[in-house]
Amino acid sequence: MALFIEKPLAFVWRDFINETSYKFSFLLQFFGIFISTLIFFFLSKLLGDTGASYLKPYGGNYFSFVLIGIAFYSYLGISIHSISKSIREGQMFGTLEALLVTQTGIPTIIISSSLYSFIWASFRVAVYLLLGSLVFGVNMGNANLVGALLILILTILSFGSLGIISASFIMIFKRGDPVSRFFTGISTLLGGLYYPVSVLPEWLQNLSYLLPITYSLEGMRLALLKGYSLSMLMPNIAPLVIFSVIMLPISIMAFGYAIKRAKIEGTLTHY
Amino acid sequence: MLYAVETLNLTKRFPVQKRYRDLLLRPFYSKEITALKDINIKARKGEIFGLLGPNGAGKTTLIKILCTLILPTSGKAFVNGLDVTKDEKKIKKIIGYVVSDERSFYWRLTGRQNLFFFAKLNNISNREASITIERLLEFMELTHDADRMFKDYSTGMRQKLAIARGLLTDPEIIFMDEPTRSLDPITAQNLRKLIKEKIVGEARKTVFISTHNLHEAEELCDRIAIIHRGEVKITGTVEEIKRKLDPNRRYVIELKNPQNGLLQSIYNLTSPGKVKVIPDGPFPCNIQIEIETTDSNGSISQVVKEIVGMGGDICSLYEKELSLEELFLGVIDTENRMAGR
Repeated sequence: MALFIEKPLAFVWRDFINETSYKFSFLLQFFGIFISTLIFFFLSKLLGDTGASYLKPYGGNYFSFVLIGIAFYSYLGISIHSISKSIREGQMFGTLEALLVTQTGIPTIIISSSLYSFIWASFRVAVYLLLGSLVFGVNMGNANLVGALLILILTILSFGSLGIISASFIMIFKRGDPVSRFFTGISTLLGGLYYPVSVLPEWLQNLSYLLPITYSLEGMRLALLKGYSLSMLMPNIAPLVIFSVIMLPISIMAFGYAIKRAKIEGTLTHY
Repeated sequence: MLYAVETLNLTKRFPVQKRYRDLLLRPFYSKEITALKDINIKARKGEIFGLLGPNGAGKTTLIKILCTLILPTSGKAFVNGLDVTKDEKKIKKIIGYVVSDERSFYWRLTGRQNLFFFAKLNNISNREASITIERLLEFMELTHDADRMFKDYSTGMRQKLAIARGLLTDPEIIFMDEPTRSLDPITAQNLRKLIKEKIVGEARKTVFISTHNLHEAEELCDRIAIIHRGEVKITGTVEEIKRKLDPNRRYVIELKNPQNGLLQSIYNLTSPGKVKVIPDGPFPCNIQIEIETTDSNGSISQVVKEIVGMGGDICSLYEKELSLEELFLGVIDTENRMAGR
């Protein structure tokens, strides 16, 4: 098998063995998915038709709205946090140095280290959606899966670039990168995770359109719940493309600089 | 001549982390600490080259520069003729780095799984990895424990696995940073034997090893460099270093019941201050005389002749060698005196 796929697979295999070796924690995660789904199901029953006017563009049902929000929000968290987390863990556990003297480039090491998290998140999303449609009656019969997949890829790319910038901060400052904290907080508040952006005052709505998460979640809901075609999804796809095109090269440059500085300061493996 | 490792005036300075006060009052002021200063060493292919020095001497920094983990501030460093600042990828193909830190493994993976993971990262195919790992586990006498989780390994087994990892790519040069640190004396001895007999003797590798264990350096290394406060003080074989640092020779003569006046005559025969009399010598001799001479056997022959001529009863005569430890302490003491410490 080609080396470019073998190496990432080796990381996934390593993380799978590691995670499943903690059997209780591994099983508990499934329980967590079920519980959080149930919480939002009852919450939506409580709300009833209260916010129906706000939810109309997405089908009018709060449970469907929030289920897709929490399912796909995990991708945002992983894209932003997992790269810096893998660096931080490598520094703290002491494995980073051993990885850095292998014949694998630093970008491959860093990106591959977060792959398992994405696979696990995808599995969780699938479980969320299956629970939603089979147990709680969410209707996704008209879903545009190609559109949803495209939005997902663009979401990972745009937030992944923020994650790489966040990792650059960790590489130099070891702790407390401002990027992930700022974007995670502001995206949760303004990105339309638990409530539609239309609920916000106008000035906050304008601010929310500067965040890629707003386009990601809206695009994902419209593709899965309303079955919007690719052309109809363009207002959501285009900003994500622009964000990715601008941020990816910047993030790669920032990461290159961070590695060089850490090598000069001898702090590549410090924490 | 192409050396396995060559450094030319290699210097490394690290920035000192600023305190809050400095950040406020002197934000643009930067202070540096010199970890390595003008290091010039040459390690030949096929030898065990030892880097000997106390903690904080700069040994790990030097090894990390050679393994491309740290960039030098100035000077040059070459591994097999490859520049550490320009040929990182090529260097990684020909070196093995034995990281002594046991945290550098995945504790919930087995020994075999750990080796397989690192084999993949070193571009080794699945089939080749299986064969190499099996061979290395046997080589390191770890076959029976290969499928136990790393967390259940003893310190010695962890160290052996670290060496096995360093050998995965069949590298030409192996860097070992204090490989026997935290091992008990018997395990450390076995590991030294393994390095000398198997890794260098059988596998013909070049080993660049750092240690603060003088006995280890003396037993293991073909040549050593003594490093202190970031500077190489002396390089050579143990014998060469002993001769350079202490050109005089010392002999011990054990005497049985020396007659009155004999000791005074011995004093008169040699240079003042070069004779040390140790009473209560080992049975049946009751006096030991340590004589330091500046020339070769000629002068000690003369002394022996005189003692016998005066009726002295010599039990034994042997040359006393300074241990590397005594020499090392001498280097450090001289350095400290010069620094006014």
